[in-house]
Amino acid sequence: MRPPGALSEDKFLANCIHCGKCGEICPNRAINFFGFENGLASLDTPYIVPREQSCILCMKCGDVCPTGALKPIARELEDIVANVKMGHARVDKNLCLSYQGKTCGVCARACPLPDIAMSVGFLETPIVMDGCVGCGLCERSCIQIPPSIRVIPDMDRS
Amino acid sequence: MHRTWQRHLNKLRWLILSLVFCTLILLPFFHLYQTYLASHSYDLLLSKEKLVYDTMESLTAPFLSDPEKQLEALKGTTWSGTLFGLKLSDPLAIVSQASAAMKLYWPFILTAAIPVIFTVIFGRFFCGWICPATFVYELNDSLGAWLRKAGLPISQHRMDRRLKYLVLGIGAVLSAVTGAVLFAAIYPPAIIGREIYYAVAVGGFGGGTVFFLLTLLFDLMVSRRGFCRYLCPGGALYSLLGRYRVFRIQRDVTNCNDCAKCNVVCQFDLNPLRDGFGQECNNCTACIAVCPTDALRFELKVKDAANRGPGHLGQLYRKQQQKSEKLEVQNI
Repeated sequence: MRPPGALSEDKFLANCIHCGKCGEICPNRAINFFGFENGLASLDTPYIVPREQSCILCMKCGDVCPTGALKPIARELEDIVANVKMGHARVDKNLCLSYQGKTCGVCARACPLPDIAMSVGFLETPIVMDGCVGCGLCERSCIQIPPSIRVIPDMDRS
Repeated sequence: MHRTWQRHLNKLRWLILSLVFCTLILLPFFHLYQTYLASHSYDLLLSKEKLVYDTMESLTAPFLSDPEKQLEALKGTTWSGTLFGLKLSDPLAIVSQASAAMKLYWPFILTAAIPVIFTVIFGRFFCGWICPATFVYELNDSLGAWLRKAGLPISQHRMDRRLKYLVLGIGAVLSAVTGAVLFAAIYPPAIIGREIYYAVAVGGFGGGTVFFLLTLLFDLMVSRRGFCRYLCPGGALYSLLGRYRVFRIQRDVTNCNDCAKCNVVCQFDLNPLRDGFGQECNNCTACIAVCPTDALRFELKVKDAANRGPGHLGQLYRKQQQKSEKLEVQNI
């Protein structure tokens, strides 16, 4: 998953100059960098694995990116919901404790955009909505192993 | 004789090079410190992380009141960095991004304005005065000299200098074809900043280190400072930009005594002894520092002087020698 505000994948690769400033500014140390595992083109480009450390939507990486590969986005609710599209969370109802009748609701509590990205039903069952920006805080907080809620990366990020 | 102050420039250059390198090592630690501050959980840190925290705290506490915010003023590397709110980028970064994206992104291009202006005035100054790779390469060059003294056979091949312009051109074309910024993977200053960050903050060096070590071996085994001279795409770009630089080192023929120390000390294999500086000179000023007669110094000139032959001191000396030999012959 690319950091918040990234252009679509081809455009991102063409614009990112692999300077590493996004990782250096990230207060949560969520941004890591590819080695050779994903091909030469994406060598040293940033990625986030939400299960390890997820994005807290501080939007500093977009400000510091010199090339606009990560768009500068203001840290305002409307701007983030409108422009950030890292991915979309998806719930596995067979794994999710709440869907199995044991009230959990951890993901809904972790979600930074309650009632925009996620609402809860009976027994705190998570219901992901269209406003989800894919920050991955739900995946990180899920107490199930493997996680029952996952962010599926969006490569178009439109 | 009153000697010129310019012979001290080389020491100043080494000071700046080491400062830049130390800053590059310090920045990842600042980053770690900031993340520890942001997490507000000193008690939960590992003992090793606490060591980083305490060291950085003692380093920054006398100067900064809010290090978590204020340390953001200094980010990035020499490839592309933020310096107290001013974004600076390597001109090569602009070239590679523009060729990969096939689009000009003006906020980014403007970040290279200051380096480009400086290069137009001073020529390839970045290579000699700032580039963190130069710091390592020059130490590597001294190591090579030691090895040669110790008797190890170290070959010194000469290649065509224009090879690096070819690297620049091919790299730009390949970036355009593949749509990825490829120079970042083979440009040593970019590699060094990144790899130091990986080693300190991420844990473990990345693939760039292997490439950089290979260039060190290339310098040691194949050609002295070979990468900068023959292969570096950034050096090529800076050379082109600094072709008509305003400040350049020039030889004063009347002072030169043809000792050729300048040619020996020049790591770029230029020919100061015969006015051969050209666009490749990286203003390292080693020749100025070594010149015994202060015949070399910076001058305000747009073009190099043509080859003016042997130095006049040398000619005088040779005449005197001939005279005294004649006298000796007559006396006998």
